[in-house]
Amino acid sequence: MCVLTNKSSHANSSDEAQQAQRRAAIENALRAHPGVREAAAVFDESDHLAAFVVPDDGFVDDVLGRGTAGSTLVSKWRKIFDLSQFSREATSTSVGFNTMGWDSSYTRGAIADDEMHEWVENTVSDILRLSPKSLCEIGCGTGMLVMRVAPHCDRYVAVDQSPAVLERLRQQLRTVPEVAERVEVVESQAANIDGFDENSFETVVLSSVVQFFPNAAYLTKVLEKAVNVVRPGGHVYVGDVRSLPLLQAFASSVELFQAADELSAGELRDRIRRRVEREPELVISPAYFLALRRSIPKISRVDIRPLRGRADNEMTRFRYEAILHVGPDNSVAFDGDFLSWAERKWAVDDIRSLLRQHPIQRIGIKGIRNARLEKDLAALTILDGADAGFAAGELRQRVVTNADEGIHPQAIFDLETEDLGFAVFLSWAACRRDGSYDAFFVPRESLHGVALPAINWPKPDALAFARLANGPGQLKFHNELVKQLVAHCRQNLPEAWAPDKIALVDMLPRTADGEVATQDLLNARLA
Amino acid sequence: MKGRAEIREFVQGLLANSGDEGTLADSDSLLFSGRLQSIDAVEIVVFLEENFGIDFAQIGFDKERIDSIDAICALTQSVAKA
Repeated sequence: MCVLTNKSSHANSSDEAQQAQRRAAIENALRAHPGVREAAAVFDESDHLAAFVVPDDGFVDDVLGRGTAGSTLVSKWRKIFDLSQFSREATSTSVGFNTMGWDSSYTRGAIADDEMHEWVENTVSDILRLSPKSLCEIGCGTGMLVMRVAPHCDRYVAVDQSPAVLERLRQQLRTVPEVAERVEVVESQAANIDGFDENSFETVVLSSVVQFFPNAAYLTKVLEKAVNVVRPGGHVYVGDVRSLPLLQAFASSVELFQAADELSAGELRDRIRRRVEREPELVISPAYFLALRRSIPKISRVDIRPLRGRADNEMTRFRYEAILHVGPDNSVAFDGDFLSWAERKWAVDDIRSLLRQHPIQRIGIKGIRNARLEKDLAALTILDGADAGFAAGELRQRVVTNADEGIHPQAIFDLETEDLGFAVFLSWAACRRDGSYDAFFVPRESLHGVALPAINWPKPDALAFARLANGPGQLKFHNELVKQLVAHCRQNLPEAWAPDKIALVDMLPRTADGEVATQDLLNARLA
Repeated sequence: MKGRAEIREFVQGLLANSGDEGTLADSDSLLFSGRLQSIDAVEIVVFLEENFGIDFAQIGFDKERIDSIDAICALTQSVAKA
């Protein structure tokens, strides 16, 4: 989130001591406001003073949202899922494949069955790699995962907040008693999953559900509880997470798809901005999960992976899975140098040859250009530089003619199935806004059966931590908070000392010494 | 019993909240056109439940039935007759 006021700039001071005093006074004044968790005042290159504020989620929800903003959103989603099961089609879906509500953002129609089958089979395969014998799924829906994963488990607790959805699940379970005997169905909101003892499960799964949470604070509350009920050595699998660094590219690709040929670039840019602002779902940066280790110390390691899949849809392009490892991590990190893809621009055949030439080496490649996103990112770049009169139809034509240079992530995943002797791992932990990814290849025999080895993945820069999640439906509350802070500074500071701009961020990026990374903050404002 | 005018006023309020001040014909699509999102559909549903006593668990729910002012009016009339 980044909200800037339009306040005009004040006279600048070149006196460093006075600048430091002004910064300190602003930070102190802002911290005294109940809506502020942290604040940092920074002079930019033009000597304008920008104040960066981490809002207090409780204040935004309880005071500005009158305590109803978050819970209203949760109940609205429950209603939507209830309604999805009242449709005529819902009664005739096959067991374990009720895709009601899985609509494409592009066509607004149902996502094709073959794409949904691929998505669910890949999700199941990723969960089964965690070898869970006792599993709790939060937001189980009508049981697409239950029906496929429960047969591999001794105990499967299926939790959902929608009574209509759970009734449909119970009906389906009655038709497969051999699955039903392992499954307990529990009606509960995600944030209320109390009642399970510590260490009850090997795995907790939240698949394609966190986007319906009202904010990152709610998600953190749920994940704290989830980590608590997982045994040491177990995992919390958060799947199908919508990526914040790619939200702009997603909004742009949807709006361009829906735009009439004659729509102007100016109007298209407005539509994209409105779509991002009005986004009703929670969209999260991988950096959120990486930062979570600070607030939930039981998490020892976090893996961020792009989704498997050949299908070209919004899940494969813009979503990822986060795997939280719980309890002490005794595994030795698989380090190894990461070669830079940008320097060599390898094709898949080149990587295959590289692996054949070095059969006993671990090989990492960082920054592989993501073929899934080529067109979306190219369109965004063209649109950014386009005149307002440039039309959407012309933009579509220009994008189509761009040559593909990147590698489809599934083509890298597929190298594992060839006779090369390598296990393949992919990561999106670096949080790059171009969606490029990192790959690590490990000779299979050196893994000694470890399914998810610790790998020293390239890290995101400090900037990635400034924005961790959007705030669905919170734009007006954030704008209100900024207004209050502007007034608060006017009341509590000499007029010439008030900040020129106030921006909301999710976290203050810090250097290795713990100092606020001021340049990163200024970059975050521009990003 | 509320009627078409109240339904129109309610729907226009929803559109205005979304920043949509465009013209609205009674036959214009609300959901399939993308002018309103799924989360807005819930507002229409609750409005119909509270003001017209419609129980979607009983009659079934399909987006087509609330996709325009005309469709919503037809739905309220069919429920009133039943």
